[in-house]
Order: sequence, then structure tokens, then C-alpha cells
Amino acid sequence: MLTTTGQLIVSGVLIGSIYALMSVGLTLIFGVLRIVNFAHGEFLMMAMYGAWLGTRYLGLNAYTAAIAVVPAMFLFGTIVHRLIISPSLDKPHLVVVFATMGLSILMQNVALMIMSADLWDVPPMLGGRSFTFGPFYAKPELLIGFAVSLMVTFILRWIIKTTYLGKAIRATVQDGEAAMLMGIPVPRIFLITFASGSALVGLAACTMMPLFSVFPTVGLNFVLIAFVIVVLGGMGSIEGALLGGICIGIAQSLSSYFIAPAYGQMFFFSLFLLVLIFRPSGLLGQKGTANLGINP
Amino acid sequence: MARDTDRLDPPMPRVERSWLPLLPERGKISAFEIALLALCVALIAAELPQSLRDVMLLTYLWGGLALAWNIAGGYAGLISFGHAAFFGIGAYTSTILGVNYEITPWIGIWVGAAISGVFGALLTLICARLRGPFFILSTLAASEVVRIGALNWATLTGGPEGLAIRPVPSVLNMVFASKTTYAILMLGYLVAIYLITKVIERSRYGFYLGAIRDDEDAASSAGINPLFIRVSAMCLSALLTSVGGSLFAQYFLYLDPTHVISPELSFQFALLPALGGLGTAIGPVLGAFAITPLSELLRSYLGDAAAGLHLAIYGAVVIVVMLYFPGGMAAALERLRPRRRAEPA
Repeated sequence: MLTTTGQLIVSGVLIGSIYALMSVGLTLIFGVLRIVNFAHGEFLMMAMYGAWLGTRYLGLNAYTAAIAVVPAMFLFGTIVHRLIISPSLDKPHLVVVFATMGLSILMQNVALMIMSADLWDVPPMLGGRSFTFGPFYAKPELLIGFAVSLMVTFILRWIIKTTYLGKAIRATVQDGEAAMLMGIPVPRIFLITFASGSALVGLAACTMMPLFSVFPTVGLNFVLIAFVIVVLGGMGSIEGALLGGICIGIAQSLSSYFIAPAYGQMFFFSLFLLVLIFRPSGLLGQKGTANLGINP
Repeated sequence: MARDTDRLDPPMPRVERSWLPLLPERGKISAFEIALLALCVALIAAELPQSLRDVMLLTYLWGGLALAWNIAGGYAGLISFGHAAFFGIGAYTSTILGVNYEITPWIGIWVGAAISGVFGALLTLICARLRGPFFILSTLAASEVVRIGALNWATLTGGPEGLAIRPVPSVLNMVFASKTTYAILMLGYLVAIYLITKVIERSRYGFYLGAIRDDEDAASSAGINPLFIRVSAMCLSALLTSVGGSLFAQYFLYLDPTHVISPELSFQFALLPALGGLGTAIGPVLGAFAITPLSELLRSYLGDAAAGLHLAIYGAVVIVVMLYFPGGMAAALERLRPRRRAEPA
């Protein structure tokens, strides 16, 4: 019993860290641009197709495919920012909501047209063996995901806390106009943030590809989890996303074992609502984020 | 970066008050609207082929649903991506009452509407502090809770297999043999919500809605209770959406959680008014009248040959409209208005 619970927690932490990796781009974009990218799930879907194509046609594996997928997603993020995000930043908030919603519909259906509705996955690496430590075991793909997720969190934290770019980003978050007057190219900061957020989704997709199948509407399932994690962790908080992801992972794995998988999902949406109601700033977020002069 | 709060709906030009304006105006019935209604009635009377009748009555239903969403989303600024929950509650309540307890849908519809109204009000009440994307996400999560609930509470809802209504035509069962009757019902739904919207536009309450949407602080310092306005607007919108859900169930005679409570459905409720023009009465109707027939016809004519093509075009249109014509089709209509600025001094 105790071993089972322990094993469930271990699996929960591992899968949760991968969810966190998937959400960190969303939280970064929200934290700086104060927008919610409703096409985030479709970015993930597209990058997963990229990783799949890399393994199928270029002889890479899902992880080495990241070398191509991550820069490609950075470029894609740049284009989306130029064409859609940037023109809608000075408009009422719902413009960007609906525009990214339209982008999500567009991407989903272009994927459907090109790739059909079939499920694709990559062959398991390492012969599908498990890695054991003590009484617990874990898939090596999960451990790699966990390591990548921790690494990304620490690197991002380091960039934001210490580098010039990070300082410029923080200044932009605190007061965009003052930052602009100090010579910070705010539009370029926005561009870099959005593109980096997209690149991070690309990295997440490469670590997820060995674990999940890809299909045109795969994004919808994951984006809802990502929203929960981002709100739970505190919108815009990088470490919060890691913590939120791990909480969701544990909650999901425990509730689907002890209750029922379907109710597990219901449990975390209810948790999401409770967090939104009682602590909209999340676990590690700034107080008052939920009321930050965002006009609907 | 202060985001300006300029209104999405076009500013009302000053035209002298006429008894029957040519183009739609806030709080008034115009010749344009009467002509549109006449066209709708003519289409019902016309001998259309069966497949087109389907498209026609779906268009009317969607027009009504878009208008219902618009009361909260357009006038009060409560953007909801969870209206499928209200739609589903309406559809399930009237169906369950009819199938299991033999209560006529004519009553069941209102029971469903009451439940949805209370649910919408409660949701808005507990999310009172949330704004912008936070409110949107909470509505999305709430509708997911309802969907997963419906999927798993199989003894009540039939779970993933869904529920079927026995296709025995009778007025009491609200099941009709002729599509004309359904078309009249759907058009009646559309017209009723249109009139409700017009009444709201004329009333003090309608101006309160706009006031809390545009500047909540200013509105509440002018003595408006924002909480009451938000809760009541969502309640009304949820209630009317629920009625549409019941009508949908009575027409399709079959429902399952994936079809009546999906997030895609919620997005559709929001996108039609957004394309047509938020916060106007004619906008959601124009949006539904343009998009629903187009996507239904494209779907049936293109078929599997180009699965997803019509939705891909739709997505692209949404992006272009939101970025370059944020007033939607209602604003385009507004441009037709003759400029009568030069008044004799």
C-alpha cells in the first residue's frame, strides 16, 4: 500500500514536471505580455508533429529532433507575434482572445487537412525498458522529461534574475512606459518573449512525443491542463508553473488510482475553480494579478 | 502598457429620431430588421429541399444562441467560454424530465432554464473578483466540470452513450413530423431573444451593462451595483442559452455530452457574435446568418474531400475580422448609413 502510494507519487511528480514544461511558455507569455494565448495547445500540437516528422523522415529520435523543432517554433512564434499578437496589443483585450482563438481553429484544421485525423506516435526508445530505483520504477522518458523540466526552470530563472535581457523583461513587466523611456525596446522584448514561449512549447513537445500520440486536437486536452497549472502556480511565475505542474501530476495520478480516472479530471477542474475563487494569484503569483487593469 | 478601453461597437451617430429608421439603431426596430424577418418567414414558407431546411432552422437556432451569449459577452463584457454548459443543462434537463418522468418539454424547458440561470448566477457570483482572462478560464473550467459530470453520471444522463428521445410526433412531446413547425419554433426563439435584447437596449438596465463593461469603477461610483449587474446579465444569458439547448434536443432527438457540452460549442457561441459585432442586437444575427449556412453547406458539399477546410477558412476569417474589423459585420452595416452631419444652421 505504502509502496503503491509512493510509486503513484513518483509517477505523479514525473508526469507533472512534463506538464509544467508544457505550461512554462504560456506562463512566460502571460507574465510579460499579459495575454492568454488560446492557441497554445495548437503550438504544442504543431511541434509534436514536427518531432514526429523528424523521427519518421530524418532518422532523428524525438529528443534530437528538438534541434530542429525548437528553432522552428521560435521562428513560428516570431511570425505569429508579428502578424497577430503585436497588432492586437493596443486593442481591447478581447481582440487578442478571439484572434488567438481563430488561430487555434485555423491550426487545428490545417493539421487535419495535412496529417488527417490519425493518431501517430514514435517507437519506444531503449526497448521500452523501465528504470528502477529502490522499490520504485519509472519510464526513462519520464525521467528525461523531469530533468529537462528542472533544467529549463533553473535556466529561465537565471536568465530573468541576472542577465540584461532578464532585467529588461522585468522592467517591462513592472512599467512598460517607464521601461521604454529608459531605452528598453519594449516591442522587441514582447517579440522575444512570445517567440521564446513558443520555442519552449517546442521543447516540451519533443519530450512529450515519446509518451503521447499526436493528433490534430491533441492540443485541447493539454491546453486545459496548462491553464490549470498556470493559474495554480500563479500566472506569470516560472517556479510556480513547476510547482503547479507537480501538484496537478500528483493529484491526477492519486485520484485516478484511488477514485476513477474520469473523476480525476473533474477533481482538477474543481481544484482550478477553487484556486481561481480563493487565491486567484495562485501559489507563487503576485497578489492582485487577477485584477491587473485587464479590461475584458 | 495601458490598454485602452475603447468600445468595440461603433459609436452611435446623431441622426434625427424617425419613426422607422432604415438601418438598425440601438433600442429601435428598423426597416432592415423587418425586411430580414420577412425574408426568414418567406424562407420557411418556401418549398426548400430538406437539406436546406435543416440548414435554415439551425441558422435560426444559432442566431438565437449568439444573441443570448451577446447579452453577457457583448453588453456586459462577461466573455464566457463556458456557455455550452448552459446549453447542455437545458438539453439534458428537458430530455431527462421527458424521457424518465414523462414531463412535457414545454415545462422541462423552463426547469432547465431555471437551473442554468441559477448556475450562471452562482458562477458569476463566486468569480466576482475575476477579470479578463481569469474570468474566461473559470467559465471554461466550469463547463468542463459539467461535461465530465454528465459523462460519468451515467444513471441520470446515459453517460457517453447519450440519451434518445422517442420520435413520436405530438404537440405535447414537442416532437413534430414537419420541419416547418421546427423552423417556426426556432425563428420564434430567435425573435423572442431579439426583442429581449431590444428591450434591454432601450432600458436603463441596458446602459448599466455598457457602463460596467466600459469602466466599472466609474459606473460603481455613479451608483450602479456592478455585482448585481454582472450576475443578472449572466443569469439571463444562461437562461436563454438553456432554452436553445432544449430546442436543440427536441429537434435532434439525441444528445451526448461530447456534442452538447464541448468546449468547441462554447467557442462557437462566442465567435458568432464576435464576427457579427459585439454589443449590438443585429451583430450576432448577422454573424449566425453568414457563418452557419456557409459552414453547413461547405461541410456537406466539400465532404471528406477536404475535411477541415471550411473550419480552417473560418479560423482565418476570425483572425482577420478581429484584427482589422473589430466592430464586425454590424460596423460594416453602420458604414452604409448616409452621413447627415451637415444640419442647416
